Amino acid sequence: MSTTLGQRPGAGSPAPEPRKALGQSRIRVLPSAISGQEFVLLGVIAVLWVILAFATPAFFTAGSIQPLLVAMAPIALVGVGMTIIIITGGIDVSVGAAIMVCSVVTAKLLVDQGLVLPLAVLVSVLVGGALGLINGLLIAYGRVHAIIITFGTANIFLFLGLQIFGSSTVNNIPQTFDVFGRGVAGRTFGIPHAFLITVIIAAIAWWYLRHTAGGRHFYAIGGDAHAARLAGVRVQRRILLAYLITGLLVGLASCFVIAQGTSTLDQSVGTGKELAVIAAVVIGGTSIMGGRGSVLGTLLGALLVQTVTSGVTQLGWNSQLSDLFVGIFIIVAVGADLIRERARRAK
Amino acid sequence: MSAPVIDPATAPAPKSGPAAESLVSRVVRALLTQRIVLLAVLIVVVVTVFFVMDANDYLTAPYDTDYMASSLINAVPLAMLGLAELLVILSGRGGIDLSVGAIVSLAGMIFGFAYGQWDWPLWAAIIATAVFGGLCGALNGFLVAYIGFPALIATLATYYAFKSLAIVINSQRPISTKPIQDLFSITRTVELPVVGSNLPDVPLGIFTFLIPTAIVVWVLLARTSYGRRLYAIGTNDTASKWAGIPVRDTRFKAYVYAGVISGLVAVVTVAQFASARPDAGVSGSGMALPAITIAVLGGVAITGGIGRVAGVILATLLIVWLNAGILLAFVGNEGSQYQLLALGTVLIFAALLNGITNRRYGGSR
Repeated sequence: MSTTLGQRPGAGSPAPEPRKALGQSRIRVLPSAISGQEFVLLGVIAVLWVILAFATPAFFTAGSIQPLLVAMAPIALVGVGMTIIIITGGIDVSVGAAIMVCSVVTAKLLVDQGLVLPLAVLVSVLVGGALGLINGLLIAYGRVHAIIITFGTANIFLFLGLQIFGSSTVNNIPQTFDVFGRGVAGRTFGIPHAFLITVIIAAIAWWYLRHTAGGRHFYAIGGDAHAARLAGVRVQRRILLAYLITGLLVGLASCFVIAQGTSTLDQSVGTGKELAVIAAVVIGGTSIMGGRGSVLGTLLGALLVQTVTSGVTQLGWNSQLSDLFVGIFIIVAVGADLIRERARRAK
Repeated sequence: MSAPVIDPATAPAPKSGPAAESLVSRVVRALLTQRIVLLAVLIVVVVTVFFVMDANDYLTAPYDTDYMASSLINAVPLAMLGLAELLVILSGRGGIDLSVGAIVSLAGMIFGFAYGQWDWPLWAAIIATAVFGGLCGALNGFLVAYIGFPALIATLATYYAFKSLAIVINSQRPISTKPIQDLFSITRTVELPVVGSNLPDVPLGIFTFLIPTAIVVWVLLARTSYGRRLYAIGTNDTASKWAGIPVRDTRFKAYVYAGVISGLVAVVTVAQFASARPDAGVSGSGMALPAITIAVLGGVAITGGIGRVAGVILATLLIVWLNAGILLAFVGNEGSQYQLLALGTVLIFAALLNGITNRRYGGSR
């Protein structure tokens, strides 16, 4: 780089600035640990909780907060994987159908074989991983835009799920998954296990994306895949990995979904979850164009969406109104991000 | 290999290399680079397969031209929404509309109110519904073109908002008053005049909604300066701006037109169900996903700037006739499940083929 500059001293002079920066302070490579979007989200959630606390006195009781945390867990968990995918510039609209396949396979095995808990979780995670692998292989090596491939695989996964259902519901699911559920069995010191697991996995993902070379590669691919390849990133393997991780997380999330349901699993399981997950991720400030985003934002986004959903129900409004607010929050959250981005560029 | 073709509708076919090129490689090239040829061949293959299966008694009911004609009623909403997606995806910069199904639900409820409860004349109710759909599309277009939202996010948000409003607006109840129920007659099949006695009866919706929409969209894209501008901004946003094209305005209008078409689909859907259902366009996997699938299958490039009306129409025919055959090949809801498999497989196959074509021949048309 310096030799090129030396050969052409006349061509623009970006040289002095980096030297100055080097001399005075370390160049900041990492963005700050918590971004503006996350502060905004924290503020919005805090305001919502205060409003809800005044409007419905029952909101700030453990009996209300705990189910909220349990309910947000599957969305947030899949959201962690979706964040990685969207950071690479991709998207996965097949997670709803994948949740259906994982949960019906696991539920059937629970009923027929009476699997023990670790084995059941393992099966679900492996099935999810296999589905994620299919997506990843097609997208990384077929070199087709992710949205098209995952629209296609969503249909195929739906077909698989419905075939396994075999035109009837899965009944009398044993209570193996109660450790992830809403009940007393699902909590330790009042903290729901499902939420705890989600936070731990999100923390690992946060560290991985922020502080390891492998994690930074996802951002590099999202920023410019071609440049990343020239810089030595194995782009296709990284992309494959992103979809594989999401598949594994979908498998785990499916266990939470079964745990939250009744003893009957019907064909509507997972429907619309893909859009809910994408909503949580984009509200969390992850750029749909790739290259920018954080897992922390996704957790807050999922919490916001779930707060709105629970809040609307607790206020006694029509529960269908919650979707309207989710839509408005997507516009507001992404709009705020757009405005900040524009200000950043103008500087 | 070649410069990007801004004008796929009227550009001359690429000259096929040296004259010595063998017939086989010319056929392969035509199949791979011209989506319309591929779709036409696939349609012939599908129909032939089902005719043969029918002749050998593998199907639960006869798969004949009458059956094929009557199944065309399913093509009306599918093809119209496919055309809506065509306009939006053409506009480029990640253009996509996830909200078309939700607009169908909401506009359908508006139509239900106007025609079923306020007793407006039919033409006024249809125009009001189309205008309302256009307004919904204008919201999308405003967010995407003027504010700069990524289309996926803006339409995801409006999908949620419209879907929720459609359900809340009449407290989750469908509207199925007398005039709405009588509308079912729109979906009846008719004999074509003059030559009709020799041909199977065709659903009326094809003539009243689908063909006019397809012609208008074709004229818009291939015969107006707006169409030129739309292809231009879809191909290269920045170059179009420097060429003096009103980029924002052009993109905005694409979303408005998609909304208007969705409004018309709402009328068709209400007539088909004989009821204005609040979840008409979003139940199950919704209407947006199949519509996007049809558009992509029809050769519309998701990156914008490439796509034709004929491709969308042929892709619809392929899927509709394939689905109709599958329905006869399996008993009960097995058939509807295999339709999902077929749709997914065909989409992935087409997408992978696009990838191969891009690498071997430098793009398909």
